Amino acid sequence: MKKLEQLKQFILRLKQKNPRPQGKSKKAFSFKDFYTKILPWFDVFALLNWGLLMVKYRFTGQLQLLIHPNYFTLVLITGIVLIALSGIRTWQLLKQLRRGGSREPEVRHITIFPPGVATALLAIAAIAGLIVPPKVLASDTALQRGITESLPFTRTQVQSFTSRIKPEDRSLMDWIRTLNAYPEPDAYTDLPANVTGFVVHIDSLPEDYLMISRFVITCCAVDAYPVGLPVKLPSTRDQFPPDTWLKIEGVMTTEELNGERRLVINAIDANKIDTPSNPYEF
Amino acid sequence: MSQLYNAFTLFLSLLVEAIPFLLLGVLLSSALLFFVDERQLISKMPRNPLLGSFVGSCVGFLFPVCECGNVPVARRLLTQGAPTSVAIGFLLAAPTINPIVIWATWVAFRDQPEIVVFRIIFSLFIATTIGWIFSFQKDPRPLMQTELAKRVINRLTASSNRDSENTPALLRSGTFLLAKSGTPVLMEEQALAATLTKNKPKTFDRNKLRLFLDTVIQEVRELGGMLVLGSAIAASIQVLAPRELILNWGQDPITSILAMMVLAAVVSICSTVDAFFVLAFSSAFTTGSLLAFLVFGPMIDIKAIGLMLSIFKPRIIIYLFAIAAQLTFVLTLSYSYFF
Repeated sequence: MKKLEQLKQFILRLKQKNPRPQGKSKKAFSFKDFYTKILPWFDVFALLNWGLLMVKYRFTGQLQLLIHPNYFTLVLITGIVLIALSGIRTWQLLKQLRRGGSREPEVRHITIFPPGVATALLAIAAIAGLIVPPKVLASDTALQRGITESLPFTRTQVQSFTSRIKPEDRSLMDWIRTLNAYPEPDAYTDLPANVTGFVVHIDSLPEDYLMISRFVITCCAVDAYPVGLPVKLPSTRDQFPPDTWLKIEGVMTTEELNGERRLVINAIDANKIDTPSNPYEF
Repeated sequence: MSQLYNAFTLFLSLLVEAIPFLLLGVLLSSALLFFVDERQLISKMPRNPLLGSFVGSCVGFLFPVCECGNVPVARRLLTQGAPTSVAIGFLLAAPTINPIVIWATWVAFRDQPEIVVFRIIFSLFIATTIGWIFSFQKDPRPLMQTELAKRVINRLTASSNRDSENTPALLRSGTFLLAKSGTPVLMEEQALAATLTKNKPKTFDRNKLRLFLDTVIQEVRELGGMLVLGSAIAASIQVLAPRELILNWGQDPITSILAMMVLAAVVSICSTVDAFFVLAFSSAFTTGSLLAFLVFGPMIDIKAIGLMLSIFKPRIIIYLFAIAAQLTFVLTLSYSYFF
């Protein structure tokens, strides 16, 4: 409710800053000119930017940092439709310009935004998106959201759960899935493990332990859910700062951590790797 | 700084996910404007408030849109003179009572079909009840944002004239009323006039295409602006309030329901995918609280409040919010109690 009040205040302030024009303006460049000539182009600009942003995300692969691949086509189509909309609009406006007739003022049916503000918000968001690339979520988010071994049931889980994958080929996600299907850690003792993920330091674990983690996305980055397994290192974890991406080779063991029996990767080898282009699991 | 960057990424993620659905909703509602004779649709709506809100809740079945897409449709229904009960029933139920969402919920909860069934029943019940409550306000205008309310005026005059004379012919000649008014003729009305005079809703000439485009761009601009604000707020809350805090809060029947409702409002996830999201909590939380998430989330969340502000005054949204929250709480608690 407080947020709502703040929003209301914000909008009121905006309204005060941009009062609606009362009658005719005496300036050479009137508000009417602004409404009828500039604003339509501003709309075109905002739509075009959003279209470009979506198409850009799709083709640079940044889209997978934001949403689940199931929606890729939807986003691409939306981008194309937005670009097409701005194209048709441009054509219309140009035709009007050539005819010389000024466009009759567009009907204002703005409800709470003064004219131009909504377009500005859209345009600013799109331009910011075009300039600043999305971030790969990292250990701070993982800690905030609470890292676990239990799996959010994703859409893909039903199809892809299988224990037929050889242990050394299982990804971190495969291990988590297997563990969810059969949670007894002793069942996996001495199986080879070979996983990649990013480092999370958990204070409650001893000095030579870290969590190797991945984010799982059900729908979009908003619901990214961290999963991970504890790794026992030959030395302290200080050489691997949080957010480092590691390739861990080792064997599975069972350890008692914080009074709980857990599956732990006993690392034989840990190598730093670059952040993969597809950091999330789906 | 890192927090800000996280929030920005989440913000973009919300927008990229929601804009396709918003566009779909806008395209649908604008197409509705040109291909469906809403006056006929609305005149077929039952006038009985209870029945009206129930029918409104079920209309969602015709429009497979989530909560980002149903606002433009509900808004259109209201300005076209649909009874308040129908519009509010639609607004609250449409994100849940539609084929895509029901299918998605069923896919997610195949093992627990009762969740699917009760999600539908509770959503229908709450939407119908709230629609019914609001039907006591016959004239929707005082509830709505002033600018939007102005657009309803002509319609109501037209419809009261129509009712008093009770001749179907007048149904088609509402145009002169609009021309008489001093304000610029609203474009929907022009479009409607075009449809009505020709009385062939399926024709599609160049002028109509222009009007269609105008409507689409206006709606995208306006609702998009709201969506940007709503997503910004939702993303900041996500980053500032640790999700663990919300989760630790709820283990028993009552607080788990409250926790899930807060989570639903904060996460602002689209109703087409929320079933998959909530599955993640199915081991730690009571079935009642999962239901609370699934019923409450599509009706009210931070992102949607932004969009609803384009229809209603803030006070009305607070009422909607409060009543929906209480009903969800009581219903899901009684579910936990009885099953």
